[in-house]
Amino acid sequence: MSYTEEQLAAMVRGDSVHRGVYTDPAIFDLEMQRIYGRAWVYVGHESQVPKTGDYHTTRVGDQDVLMVRAADGNVHVLYNRCPHKGAKLVADGEGCVGKFFRCPYHAWTFKLDGSHLGVPLKQGLEGTSYDPADPSFSMRRLARVDAYRGFVFASQSKEGPALVDFLGGVRSSIDNLCDRSPVGEVEVAGGIFRVMQRSNWKVFYENLHDTMHARVTHESSYAAARDEAKEMGEMPLELHIMDGNGEPYEFWEKLELRAYDNGHGYMEGIFNPGAAERDPVSRAHFDTLTTAYGEERAREILGMNRHNTVIYGSGSPHTVFQQFRVIRPIAVDRTLIEIQTFRCKGAPDGVFKRAMMYANVINSPSSNVMPDDIELYNRCQEGNATRGGEWVSMHRYHGSDRSDADGMVSVNGTSELPMRNQFRAWKTYMEAGATAAGAATGDSTCC
Amino acid sequence: MLLDLDFDVSTTGLSPADVPADTYHRIAQFLYREACLLDERRYDDWQSLWTSDGMYWMPRVVGQQSPFDHISLFWEDRMLRDVRIRRLEHPRNWSQQPPTRSVRLVGGVQVEGVDAGGNLVVHSVFQMTEWRKRQPRQLAGRYTHKLAAEGDSWRIRMKRVDLVNCDDAHDVFEVFV
Ligand code: FES
Ligand SMILES: [Fe+2]
Repeated sequence: MSYTEEQLAAMVRGDSVHRGVYTDPAIFDLEMQRIYGRAWVYVGHESQVPKTGDYHTTRVGDQDVLMVRAADGNVHVLYNRCPHKGAKLVADGEGCVGKFFRCPYHAWTFKLDGSHLGVPLKQGLEGTSYDPADPSFSMRRLARVDAYRGFVFASQSKEGPALVDFLGGVRSSIDNLCDRSPVGEVEVAGGIFRVMQRSNWKVFYENLHDTMHARVTHESSYAAARDEAKEMGEMPLELHIMDGNGEPYEFWEKLELRAYDNGHGYMEGIFNPGAAERDPVSRAHFDTLTTAYGEERAREILGMNRHNTVIYGSGSPHTVFQQFRVIRPIAVDRTLIEIQTFRCKGAPDGVFKRAMMYANVINSPSSNVMPDDIELYNRCQEGNATRGGEWVSMHRYHGSDRSDADGMVSVNGTSELPMRNQFRAWKTYMEAGATAAGAATGDSTCC
Repeated sequence: MLLDLDFDVSTTGLSPADVPADTYHRIAQFLYREACLLDERRYDDWQSLWTSDGMYWMPRVVGQQSPFDHISLFWEDRMLRDVRIRRLEHPRNWSQQPPTRSVRLVGGVQVEGVDAGGNLVVHSVFQMTEWRKRQPRQLAGRYTHKLAAEGDSWRIRMKRVDLVNCDDAHDVFEVFV
């Protein structure tokens, strides 16, 4: 079915949302146009395309795109499509095309910014309306591309806020990730996990700041870690990071949840390896940062103990363990997670090794933590497909959210503020999209 | 633990191993038994097949050289294997309701040689059907075992699992492969 602006608005209440936003494929299609077709979406990190001609393919919403490094050092983001007969120019994954793109079908060529370079046996096109200067004979670029400290974002819409304004308060999480390097730079390193979840993309975003689920969903995981530690008589970091989910409710109630415009936000740290003065990795890291920035600033950087950050539509950077869980919607009930880990350039090797360990233990497809999350997302997907009820509750501490200069703060760490905030953004995108689609020419949304 | 591990994962530069037919037969039986213990979820018996410092490794990329500077699908010492087993057996392991069932076929057992630490390096291929909740999942690949002699049998010092689709996007792996 198609939705009017009023119908869409009616699916989101202040304290609850209609189950159809998770289960209706028509809503998913609209989201691809109105959210992923407009928002700034993280494409990849500049370090993934270090040299001229290097490319990396990924998706922005339902679109296959590629990031490519041009000779002048600029990074471009292009749809992965040849303007001749539409073949994907490069295979999925990464590689290097050299000085220019050459289509494997009929050898049309394109510069690294996507613009038309040439076709073989050009005389065959003489006297036709073929025009190398006409953009329809070039690879199409995404409407806007910008980077923030090496993190490349693209928007499929010409209009909208600048990237820095779009990111707003969550910029500080990207800053903190980069500042953990003594030269202020990070690079993607050590491989990428890809995990497919059988659930709607929004469920994962909501779960990132859902503190009420931790000790319930992850009971088997933290209990196993605790029992093991008890038997060993010590709790090494590998077990400590699993143990955190088992904190009592009072612990979660004290955490701070921040919500910003466009659905973003972050939650405070739940474990603090940086504060463990006895940990030699943290100490060496601290010394390196002290040399680079001075002791006070080093303390500030490592003291920013942030757990999950949400960049709505892109994913979730984790600063302390240098990773970015990139969230890619595939279908209404299918979501791909790409877990990137980062090396802080110039930081001691132990810092990177620790990030590898964290990714292996917590975010690998074989993690002992994640399968229970994924199981519950799937149960939400399956439960919401039944006629057991129409509304999904987001009532916790509704009506008590505090505003501050650049967003909102929860009154209690178990508040469902983050979900309400994400749906506030969702509604804004979807409604504005309906208006824009009405005004635009023959887009596929009508009828 | 994993952070300061110095473990020889290499399986090249081996010295030749002289393995009589009877020993070869017992090696193959050892591998079949290991597979059977996993299929039957007899995890404590399975753990007892390992040396105390044994490492279980499933690389993320084809030909991966090291588990230290690159992520792996699994990289587990005894402690982490123990934690996995405890979780699998916990009554509130929501994602193991119903539990994963598996059956695996191991074949093509080949003794490759002896590594610098005196471990016997054995290759085999496997096919594993796994099921829980939905469609069965097929996993296939190559096992590499490093076996340390113990009495007239062996203990596993390393098990490397190279999936044919290690670099794919995956569903979760809850049980050992
Ligand atoms: S499809 Fe690309 S050159 Fe023909
Ligand atoms: Fe969780």
